[in-house]
Amino acid sequence: METVINDYISRELVQDPALLPLADETSLLETGILDSLTFLRLVIFLEERFGITMGDADLLPENFTSVNTICAYLRAREPGKRQASRG
Amino acid sequence: MAYLLQRLLTEAAARQPQRPAVASDGCLLTYQELDRLSNKVARALLRLGVAPGDRVGILAPKSAAAVIGVYGALKAGACYVPLDPKAPAGRLSHIVQDSGSAVIVADEARASQAAILAGSVPRSRGVVVAGVPGRPAGEAAVAAAQGAAIVPWAAVAGESGEPLAQEFSIETDLAYILYTSGSTGTPKGVMISHRNSLTFVQWAAAAVGLSEQDRVCSPAPLHFDLSVFDIFASCRAAACLAVLPSGAATFPVSIARWLEAEQISVWYSVPSVLTLLACYGSLAQFDLSGLRTVIFAGEVFPPRHLARLMAELPHCRYLNWYGPTETNVCTAFEVPAGCWGGAGAGPAPIGKACANTEVFAVTSEGRRVCRPGEVGELYVRGPSLMRGYWGQPAETSEALVRHPFRDSCDELVYRTGDLVTLEPTGNYAYLGRRDTMVKVRGYRVELGEVEATLYRHPAIREAVVLPVPDELLGSRLRAVVTADGTGNLTYQNVLDHCRQWLPGYMVPDIIEFREALPRTSTGKVDRAGLAQEQHELEPAADGRPDKR
Repeated sequence: METVINDYISRELVQDPALLPLADETSLLETGILDSLTFLRLVIFLEERFGITMGDADLLPENFTSVNTICAYLRAREPGKRQASRG
Repeated sequence: MAYLLQRLLTEAAARQPQRPAVASDGCLLTYQELDRLSNKVARALLRLGVAPGDRVGILAPKSAAAVIGVYGALKAGACYVPLDPKAPAGRLSHIVQDSGSAVIVADEARASQAAILAGSVPRSRGVVVAGVPGRPAGEAAVAAAQGAAIVPWAAVAGESGEPLAQEFSIETDLAYILYTSGSTGTPKGVMISHRNSLTFVQWAAAAVGLSEQDRVCSPAPLHFDLSVFDIFASCRAAACLAVLPSGAATFPVSIARWLEAEQISVWYSVPSVLTLLACYGSLAQFDLSGLRTVIFAGEVFPPRHLARLMAELPHCRYLNWYGPTETNVCTAFEVPAGCWGGAGAGPAPIGKACANTEVFAVTSEGRRVCRPGEVGELYVRGPSLMRGYWGQPAETSEALVRHPFRDSCDELVYRTGDLVTLEPTGNYAYLGRRDTMVKVRGYRVELGEVEATLYRHPAIREAVVLPVPDELLGSRLRAVVTADGTGNLTYQNVLDHCRQWLPGYMVPDIIEFREALPRTSTGKVDRAGLAQEQHELEPAADGRPDKR
């Protein structure tokens, strides 16, 4: 899972080649890799790749700090479980 | 009444010297401080020989330093040219050279980058660093290894903050040039004069009822015309411009938390940011009772997300503003209180003309649209219209044309390229484009510019770019390319090539490789066929928030 997500971020979201290769513990926020546009692309990728739907309880900064925290968060979800979403 | 944009600041500083003008990244500037600091920047620019009409680049994210730079450039009689710090070097270099920006104002962190950019312009005069008091000077300001000379913040801060002895500009002079996507392959500069801008600014401040009690935020960067509202209309009312920190802008919940903490009263953004807030912002957890007005512009707000936002924040006033960069905002619609629409409701209309502006639509047969249901291209007339595209007289004369129904009218009118229909209420409703321009998160993207960039790749023979509708992004971009067989064509080198020339929102999300592009019977690339294919491949591709 780490490899899949790291590959996607490295290929599609990293603008500055100096940040490659990307370590799984590198901060995606401090490096500026994630901004409002790349963050959306990442969410769309994760939803499509892992067949999940993310709600507002999922899209928290602490879940997206690094490749490692994204994976930890995905593993903590029950497989295929829909998160509670309002409205 | 102010007739120059910088007068908004000097008047606000005289009226409300101690009111907060800019709150950014923990730094708070009063109107008196902003006025004095921008006088210092203006003096530093004049010392470098900046003369009325000169272009001055601004290389900084929206921040206290950027606002000081903008007003400093205007006070020196110059026209400012925003340079997006996130854009690739190749694009910035083109904009600096095309506009002939011989001086760049940058924040501390970008002084060296600015020196290299400014150095690429013939007869470059240097870089002026804009900073804020109490912040340590960065290393960058000390010396630039290459490029133009840098005037460090310490030297700028040593200039007098007293008012300048004279105004260097008149109201028909250019105030700024905003570069936007150009269909011929390079960005084009929209030239806006003080009078053009003030027509919008004065109207907007009155329409929103801005006062010195307001705290105004727009996440739009300087090169996006939405920023004209928070930078200038706030000043008109001596309200506080609050800058959303880039860290908070990434996550919807962080934006909501910041709105509560900063007590933002007026918000102006593209709908996609509001859609994210409504769907993922956990708005019920926050006290947003101070937020009184929400304004959106730049793209269509999907009706059910607007309805959801209005249900989450029922106390706010909702305004839909419309207008290409070339005209400033030219129509407006106030969404009636209560929930928008209901099942099957369409998007909110773009409304009716703003004060001092005429809008009308022209059918494909050249008749004026006057009955509800008729469809036509929207035209705009009035003092808010741009002066033209910088250095592009042919493109200017295609966009600014003689009034089709008033022979005696010498004033030119602007063809928007937007198709609209007239509703029975007298409001115009947006239907789509006449050409291949699309919106990605409110940013204009000319598909032709992305295609022209792909064609510059040495191993690509043919390229076509298609929009894939997406409710969060507006559109995702899908490129279909064929190899010319001579060079190395890989996914990665196409992506890298695009990133070298295009800002992030213009880089294709999907890149497909084909042996050949499908053709219509007349030999043209079959765009409709390719779009249909996309629809069949991914029937749910446009339904993102629908999945829940």
